[in-house]
Amino acid sequence: MTRLMHDDAVPDGDTLARLIRQVATERDRQAYARLYSFFAPRVNAFLRRSGLPPGAAEEVAQETMLSVWRKASYFDPARAGASTWIFTIARNQRIDHLRRMRTANVAESAVPVEDELEPSGEALMLCAERESSVRAALKALSEEQATVVRLSFFSDKPHSEIARELGLPLGTVKSRVRLALGRLRALLEASS
Amino acid sequence: MTIHHHATDETLMRVAAGRLPAGPARVVGVHLAGCPACRERLCTFEAVGGTLLETIEPVPMAAGAFAAALAALDAEAAPTVVSGRAALPVPAMMLPGIPLPETLRDCEMSPWRWIGVGVRASALRLPEDPSARLTLLRVGPGRKLPEHGHVGTEFTQVLAGSFSDGYGRYGPGDLSEMGHEIEHQPIVDPDGECICLAALEGGMRLTGMLGRLIQPFVRL
Repeated sequence: MTRLMHDDAVPDGDTLARLIRQVATERDRQAYARLYSFFAPRVNAFLRRSGLPPGAAEEVAQETMLSVWRKASYFDPARAGASTWIFTIARNQRIDHLRRMRTANVAESAVPVEDELEPSGEALMLCAERESSVRAALKALSEEQATVVRLSFFSDKPHSEIARELGLPLGTVKSRVRLALGRLRALLEASS
Repeated sequence: MTIHHHATDETLMRVAAGRLPAGPARVVGVHLAGCPACRERLCTFEAVGGTLLETIEPVPMAAGAFAAALAALDAEAAPTVVSGRAALPVPAMMLPGIPLPETLRDCEMSPWRWIGVGVRASALRLPEDPSARLTLLRVGPGRKLPEHGHVGTEFTQVLAGSFSDGYGRYGPGDLSEMGHEIEHQPIVDPDGECICLAALEGGMRLTGMLGRLIQPFVRL
């Protein structure tokens, strides 16, 4: 039986990408175990932070990791890094989960959210270099800006509620979001 | 098709995060399908999600979760083919000879209804969220639509023809995102009918133009 490795070292992006390729081409369970031990607890954390209750978060995290196995051959490192690819799977699984909850009594939708749009050739080139620039750009944001970026990602709360939580006027929150996103993009464009 | 009006950063961020409601998400989806520049920007915001995922403090899975995953994979007889959207035999027609945008072909479209002079509308029902409001509008050339405001953001994607308001001219492929603080008065350009796809986020102000237009289609 394949065993989970309890390896605290954080694998780098290239290693993670290689592991996904091994799962795709060799159905390598050892590689899958390493992916699982790194990503499952992070996807779980991400989903909880996104507002799913613990049980649902774990269920959706499990579904996400099963998708990683099934869809490994669709992973294209030229298009997105390993973490970004798995993030988009988790995001779509979360949407599917919420959809199932909402339409529990209605016939299930036949259309998966998974369908990805084909990027242009130019986009392919840029995607490959994006990951490290994004990481650097996020670090370069001020703490305030990083907070609104995180809140935009993790929270369904309208800006008015975020404003109340941060004790700020609504206009300030809105302009901070705009500034943070604009700055993020400027940093990314400067580094590409 | 030259696109002049794009999705905002904030909207793309919400798409990347999976947090745009179903109706607006469809409108932006139609825009993305025709706009390589916005798809490229979306990739950037998805990479933000990837970075947040990588750096989050992990929450351990229950004991035995990995073994359960392997058991689930063992139970699958053959590798599941997960790709591809179900091919529809006949493309749904928006108007005779004009198919619905591909990203809307799984929606159920109501017949066009007369809403006012020179204005027709059709409601689209989304399989993923039957309560979502998504409306196709067909407005005659030169028609001036009443000035209106709305409670949330209004997302409008032009499919054919064009309209203009105080913020510019919107042609095929253009996306207009109008915040609730904005009052605007779209006028369809005189050279032809304009067909667009519109969704409102949040509640609607029933005195507003879209509110009046959509009201007949939704049970309130």
